[in-house]
Amino acid sequence: MKNRLKLLRTEKGWTQADLGDQLGVSRQAVNALETEKHDPSLDLAYRIASLFDRPVEDIFENPHG
Amino acid sequence: MSSPWKAGTPAHRRYIARTIGFMVPYMALCIAMMVTDAFDQIMGGPAAWVLAAVVSTPVIGQIWATLSLMRESDEFVRAVTAKQFIVAAGLAMAAATFWGFGETFAGAPHLPAWLIYPLFWGAFGLVSPFIRDSNA
Repeated sequence: MKNRLKLLRTEKGWTQADLGDQLGVSRQAVNALETEKHDPSLDLAYRIASLFDRPVEDIFENPHG
Repeated sequence: MSSPWKAGTPAHRRYIARTIGFMVPYMALCIAMMVTDAFDQIMGGPAAWVLAAVVSTPVIGQIWATLSLMRESDEFVRAVTAKQFIVAAGLAMAAATFWGFGETFAGAPHLPAWLIYPLFWGAFGLVSPFIRDSNA
């Protein structure tokens, strides 16, 4: 799933490990999200949206919309 | 300590420790059966069934360790591990089916059924580097 996660993360100056720690997931999971190798669960997508204080649609492109 | 140990999550480190804990006694028993005659005297007796059960116990333990890794990991690791496990199990079952029919109908030499376990983990090791995404 296309997303702006890497851009938003680097804007904050965070490493993948930093973001993973804040989300409660591994660095590998963050890398997989950024490289579109993993589509997040609804729960994780909302956690990410909450962390960046943005709607989910601002971070993840809706593939059906 | 090795790099994968440092780079891995705490769940991965527990998995490695549990794997070593189960694989070492399994390998020790298998090697002892193959290179010594220590077990020959129990062949054909009830003790041989006990030995079979003892060797099988680490196999069950290893499945528990893998399920524990999935339970203690995030959704990405869980999905990738499940995918790797399914592909490796499928390959091992396909190979066993192929050889089993080969034995029955094509005169292939007999191979012991317990080889399915090292075959499965061999397949797991082979496919894992190529399965790095969670998409089906």
